Amino acid sequence: MRYLILGASATGLSAAGAIRQNDPWGDITVLSGDRHIYSRCLLPDVLAGRRDAAAARFVPEDFLRRNGVRWAGGVKAVKLLPEEKGVAADNGDKFFYDKLLIATGSSSYLPPVENINRGRQVYGLRNLEDVWDITRAAGNCRQAVIMGGGLVGVDAAVSLNEKGLAVVIVEIAGHILPLQLDQRAAASYEALFRNRGIEIITGEMMNRIILDDRQNVTGVQLKSGRVIPCGLVVAATGVRPNIDFLEGTPVEVGRGIKVNEYQETSYPDIYAAGDVCESLEVFTGKVAPTPIWPLAVLQGQVAGTNMAGGRRKIVNNFAFKNSMEFYGLNTVSFGFPEAPDTSYTTYIMESPGSYKKYIFKDGCLRGAILQGDISRAGVTGALIRKNTPVGVAPGKLFDLNYAYFFNQRENGEFVL
Amino acid sequence: MLRIFIKPELCAGCKNCQVTCLAEHSPSRSVWLVNLSDQGSRPRNFVELNNEGQPVPLSCRHCDEPECVNSCMSGALYKDPATGIVAHNPEQCAGCWMCVMSCPFGMIFPDARENKVSVKCDFCAGRDKPRCVEACLTGAITLIEVPSSNIDGKYPNLARGE
Ligand SMILES: Cc1cc2nc3c(=O)[nH]c(=O)nc-3n(C[C@H](O)[C@H](O)[C@H](O)COP(=O)(O)OP(=O)(O)OC[C@H]3O[C@@H](n4cnc5c(N)ncnc54)[C@H](O)[C@@H]3O)c2cc1C
Ligand code: SF4
Ligand code: SF4
Repeated sequence: MRYLILGASATGLSAAGAIRQNDPWGDITVLSGDRHIYSRCLLPDVLAGRRDAAAARFVPEDFLRRNGVRWAGGVKAVKLLPEEKGVAADNGDKFFYDKLLIATGSSSYLPPVENINRGRQVYGLRNLEDVWDITRAAGNCRQAVIMGGGLVGVDAAVSLNEKGLAVVIVEIAGHILPLQLDQRAAASYEALFRNRGIEIITGEMMNRIILDDRQNVTGVQLKSGRVIPCGLVVAATGVRPNIDFLEGTPVEVGRGIKVNEYQETSYPDIYAAGDVCESLEVFTGKVAPTPIWPLAVLQGQVAGTNMAGGRRKIVNNFAFKNSMEFYGLNTVSFGFPEAPDTSYTTYIMESPGSYKKYIFKDGCLRGAILQGDISRAGVTGALIRKNTPVGVAPGKLFDLNYAYFFNQRENGEFVL
Repeated sequence: MLRIFIKPELCAGCKNCQVTCLAEHSPSRSVWLVNLSDQGSRPRNFVELNNEGQPVPLSCRHCDEPECVNSCMSGALYKDPATGIVAHNPEQCAGCWMCVMSCPFGMIFPDARENKVSVKCDFCAGRDKPRCVEACLTGAITLIEVPSSNIDGKYPNLARGE
């Protein structure tokens, strides 16, 4: 059996491992735009200089060898040829398969802002190459503007601040991290950031990137007209799936490649998983992209198992979980950061350095924020994912732990 | 593989397991010398009351399909194919807390002193028997042999030319 995997990140490599576990002799090839294996989530550490690029590798040194994986690094798929079960690559080669996994992930999305494609110092933060580019530009300027105050934007801001740059975050919503946090939890971070000299502008949008006559970035102009001088712009305004090479093929695409619960696409013998696909997510009950690392790994395992002849359905495809740490303050959040309407009940406990919030509907937990002490947060997450009545008195909520739900299998495993 | 099995009905709530875990992971490894008032040291297991007020001793399951490992974006967490132990490498850990958010049982948490890396049960690496098992006088914490969850070692290792 010939397996071809496009992409060597969380999804591609977890699939390779799962294939090898289920098929000892199959022929596995990984085609990857990345020349090296690294964790994208560690790029902020590399940018800040906290970790070198080699230490951003997330699988053991001998992973490919131990799993007998043929490696084609720095090679990109440019055209899928489903009739001949092949993939054309940018180096002119063709790769053939019996089973194909598309794990090409996503790229930074650049919003339609004037000059965004012309400015020379405008970067996303997605690939190791972006880190080198940003580092170079950061060496030539004193101030950077970050477009978007989501997790990647805030990561970039903190890293650049650590490098000694003045940093300005511009966020459309009323507070930073709007998808992950409520206003109260975000305010703790905003205060910390301002203390460190990171400026935060909320409720504002980028209008135009200001360039000199050689297309060098000299500043940005906001909707309000305000001009912020800078020599570097990092666009952290979301991602879009890497699916260009599917154009004109029968593989069905929505906001990502469409897959069923076996990670199968609409076309035989072609699977997709991770950031590149859209799937049925359990918190919303809707089909959507699920661009987080744990689900990339899980979907990769499911795809790999099924490609190698297994029959595994995905369970717990739960994307509404977030964890973070900035300047020593920890937060984990799940589900809704705010109650969507008055049919929900919210319980809050605050003390210095700690903020906990639980959102209920009909006895089921639908959202939570734990800031400060996050130990045991996973129990809360599992309850939200499960969406069944919690059966714990509100007074005990703030100390939720597994003793309340203790349920042990014969083999000593826990169940929740 | 070996797994810790819990019989809450036998637990007396004495917290011997917690003290001994603290000691094992302290410089002296001694129950007599461990500094119990140090806020920075905390055991990797704990005893908590359930809804009926019954104490329940809890510790990491070294799960067959560990969600902490699946969520770890740095490779710091891995399941040792030989022992079934879910191990953590603090050198590689990035302190992102994805494992803390993902363990459904709350068995891995930020290190209380530095808040830089996560900590979890290491099955008292290097010992025959975890110390909490030895310390439990009532039989609430015991060790059982379970079928190996290790699928990684099921097939020949191609790199070794098998
Ligand atoms: C800065 C940053 C911080 C993040 N932090 C977190 C976090 O804290 N928590 C979290 O859950 N998630 C985080 N994420 C998201 C997480 O990194 C992704 O969800 C995850 O990497 C998705 O894995 P993937 O394998 O599906 O895709 P990707 O990681 O995008 O990998 C895609 C792979 O496909 C290759 N490729 C692309 N196109 C082609 C082609 N045409 N041919 C061949 N190969 C191709 C690429 O080179 C790459 O190897 C972060 C992301 C970034 C950028
Ligand atoms: S930390 Fe949690 S998820 Fe990880 S092995 Fe232990 S019990 Fe399982
Ligand atoms: S905190 Fe460390 S061990 Fe936990 S997921 Fe992050 S990198 Fe892995």
